[in-house]
Amino acid sequence: MKISFCTDLDKSVVVANCEKRGWLQVGPEDDWNVYWAGTQTCRSLFSVDSGYRMNDNQIINHFPNHYEISRKDLLVKNIKRYRRDLEKEGNIMAERGDSKYLHLDFIPVTFVLPADYNMFVEEYRKAPQSTWIMKPCGRSQGSGIFLINKLSKLKRWSRESKTPFQQQLTKESYVISKYIDNPLLIGGKKFDLRLYVLVTSFRPLKAYQFKLGFCRFCTVKYDSSVAELDNMYVHLTNVSVQKHGGEYNSLHGGKMSVQNLRLYLESTRGKQVTEKLFDQISWLIIHSLKAIAPVISTDRHCFECYGYDIIIDNKLKPWLIEVNASPSLTSTTANDRILKHKLLDNIFNIVVPPTGTPDVRWNKIPLPEALGDFELLIDEDLVSLNENGESGFSRNNSKWK
Amino acid sequence: MDELKDRSIHHTTIKICDDLRNSNQYQNLYEDIQKLVSTSSVRLDDFKSTLLRAMQETGLEADLRNKIYRWVKTKKKESNPYDAFFRKAQIHWDKRIHKSLNSMSSELGISLAKSRGNSEKEELLSKWNELSNFETDIHKYRPVYAPKDFLEVLLALKGPSKERDCHKWEFAQLPLKVKNLSELRNVYVEISRGDQILNSNSLSNNNQNFAIFEAERVALGEKILAKNYAPLAQEYLKRGCPKGLRARLWTLLLGAEVKSPQINYFETLKHNVLHYDLMIDKLIIKDINLTASNDDQYFVFEDVLYQVMLCFSRDSEILKQLPNQPAFMQVVLKGRPNTTENTLVFPPSGVIPFHGFTMYAAPFCYLFNNSTELYFVFRAFYLRYWHRLHRVCASSQGIVALCLQFEKLLQCYEPSLWNHFKKCRIHPLRVVIKWIMRAFSGHLPPEQLLALWDSILAYDSLEIVPLLAVVIVVFRKDNLMKVNTLANIEAVLADLSSIAVVPLLQMALMKDGTA
Ligand SMILES: Nc1ncnc2c1ncn2[C@@H]1O[C@H](COP(=O)(O)OP(=O)(O)O)[C@@H](O)[C@H]1O
Ligand SMILES: [Mg+2]
Repeated sequence: MKISFCTDLDKSVVVANCEKRGWLQVGPEDDWNVYWAGTQTCRSLFSVDSGYRMNDNQIINHFPNHYEISRKDLLVKNIKRYRRDLEKEGNIMAERGDSKYLHLDFIPVTFVLPADYNMFVEEYRKAPQSTWIMKPCGRSQGSGIFLINKLSKLKRWSRESKTPFQQQLTKESYVISKYIDNPLLIGGKKFDLRLYVLVTSFRPLKAYQFKLGFCRFCTVKYDSSVAELDNMYVHLTNVSVQKHGGEYNSLHGGKMSVQNLRLYLESTRGKQVTEKLFDQISWLIIHSLKAIAPVISTDRHCFECYGYDIIIDNKLKPWLIEVNASPSLTSTTANDRILKHKLLDNIFNIVVPPTGTPDVRWNKIPLPEALGDFELLIDEDLVSLNENGESGFSRNNSKWK
Repeated sequence: MDELKDRSIHHTTIKICDDLRNSNQYQNLYEDIQKLVSTSSVRLDDFKSTLLRAMQETGLEADLRNKIYRWVKTKKKESNPYDAFFRKAQIHWDKRIHKSLNSMSSELGISLAKSRGNSEKEELLSKWNELSNFETDIHKYRPVYAPKDFLEVLLALKGPSKERDCHKWEFAQLPLKVKNLSELRNVYVEISRGDQILNSNSLSNNNQNFAIFEAERVALGEKILAKNYAPLAQEYLKRGCPKGLRARLWTLLLGAEVKSPQINYFETLKHNVLHYDLMIDKLIIKDINLTASNDDQYFVFEDVLYQVMLCFSRDSEILKQLPNQPAFMQVVLKGRPNTTENTLVFPPSGVIPFHGFTMYAAPFCYLFNNSTELYFVFRAFYLRYWHRLHRVCASSQGIVALCLQFEKLLQCYEPSLWNHFKKCRIHPLRVVIKWIMRAFSGHLPPEQLLALWDSILAYDSLEIVPLLAVVIVVFRKDNLMKVNTLANIEAVLADLSSIAVVPLLQMALMKDGTA
């Protein structure tokens, strides 16, 4: 059977990968097996009005309500709910000490504005000298973000935005998060991690982490002084922000590989703390996914590749900043292109069963050699197999339960 | 006979004592021992044995042993009847470099050396930790020479016996002895035997055995560090180094510990950078700009490299400690009378950087956060190894011998490939000279590179560098046979990101490998 694919993104990396597999490019109206779609297209395809019904040999690269994780306000809401639920159950993972969650404290304290304004002010008053970051819930690439170190600045902002924005304000809500003001610096510069996570199913949860992420560095030295508060080249690590700076270098694009970060950390700080950091990163990824698993409308045709933004602070604690459902597939450098090619190649290896034909009836347990640079984070099918003692599969899944 | 031996040991002892006394670490050692003597653990009535015991307990004995071990290393002298010939060639090359510096200086209208003005001094000082923001105009500067220029010099060495100048592009006529594969197998015993060696590639067989082996290695490494015994560190590295211990083991092996004298010394170098404006600074900055700043593996360390490389240029100890002192320039500070106080060696280290010189230091950025610690390990590496890679000498560790070794290995390993190169009239060294001259820095990914440098230290030899170069070329033979232009050959060999150093070397050296 000839496999056909369809994409509405003009990304060479997608088309090249599909063609390499001998797949035939077709239009959205034709019979396709694999659709690599933008989130909008995907949502309209799944909407009731479209009336489109997929057959068993079709797969698509988004879940219908991915925004449960990719919208900044919903992510926070889901994680807060997840923690509360666990707490109610009396689950030890939701243990608290000093009012903070001991194991699930992996997102900066965050409120949705204007809805949670009063709660924010209460929290703000506890430490009035701290810095907060305002982010529009539905935007990306650093747009509309600013830092705040005084309540008055927030008040002024809301006054100013009221007149023209009055109606919009209900539509465009913001999150305000505690600013991580002690990021780990290398060469004096702030960076965040971009990691890729592939989910092939939410119930049961099946997720894979890509080993080849990268660090995105600011082009300007980190400086937490008030004078630099508005300098986005100091504070925002988005490539889309940094590339407008005078210091941007298009040969490396401010990107260093995660393997090299690991080498550096292990060499200068030791193996144990480095391993702990990376274990904590996997931990937070798994729990962020578990937090949205109950609300995602699960559909066997879907898989999704998320771009995780993570900041490491100077105590080597990782913080989840946001999750993107359509991480950029644009290549800024030669290495970037290689990485993204591998990413797409490995994704297809995992989501397409060994027969080579997409098939939603497949148990979605890929062969070990199909993983490529992905590592299994969790597969609840395998976990339950293990519990029944039926399988000799011996990854340390138990660590993550 | 015995008496003779005794006498020679006696002589060596005297020599060691003399040299120790003259070394700059002596003061520290002496003071430490004096302090020890004044404690109650050393008794006057049994001075010798109580002192020895006390020295053992406090680790001073290990310290002293390490010093002697390193002394022996530096005294390892080989002499070659053609030393004078190569020396002459190097002096000739030095002169050419100096000439080109002088003409650069007059073309650009920039003096080689002058005192830095106060305002610039202050600016430099305030930007010491972010020298990438120190504004200097370097766009007119070009690297003095690149590896391929140096290769031309090497290829032009006709050998002292002038009879055969026919094979212009072979090194074979040079009267140097280099090891063949079986001799290399005897040196790199652990690799040839297929001993288990800790390396990041074993991660792919992410199994329990690996975890156990790694834990064993870490425990052993920690023990050696606790014992503080340099020869053991060297032996240890033969079976691979856990990443977390590398910085400390290298420091121990090389005797590059940083204490207050070193901190002060580094401060004086910095002071000298602030004080004098040398044209070499621009060349250094240019080199960092052309290499590390554009490299996704090193750009984050750019600012550290500025500090380290600028200070290196001011380090006159380097010139003193280099064997076969290079010819050096002396220049008078601009606008000052021509007197000895106004004259300085240019640059004080005597080392003129070539294109990619920064790469000798860059990988250390992965090991040290502190630029002083980084500096002393880098310097030790330079004095032990790197200087031989960009200077003409007869040493078996020198670039000439290493090139010759590459050539001979390739010839006998893969004559068909060698002939293919020959048919295309492209000397294979043209493609690999930059690997060899930079000991693969900037070419291999840092993790693999550090593993390679582990074995340089472990076997105290650079011979592994041309060996690896040959193995890589042979490994890509099929693709090389398909192309016949320099550009295409370079393209086949451009990307080394997938190279796994240890397994490749094992493949080459193990008898039942493909060799
Ligand atoms: N709480 C925070 N603390 C510190 N830096 C932050 C924080 N939130 C965001 N940032 C910085 O701002 C960048 C953009 O924020 P992000 O939430 O990823 O929004 P966007 O969707 O615009 O990329 C991040 O990559 C990070 O560098
Ligand atoms: Mg982001």
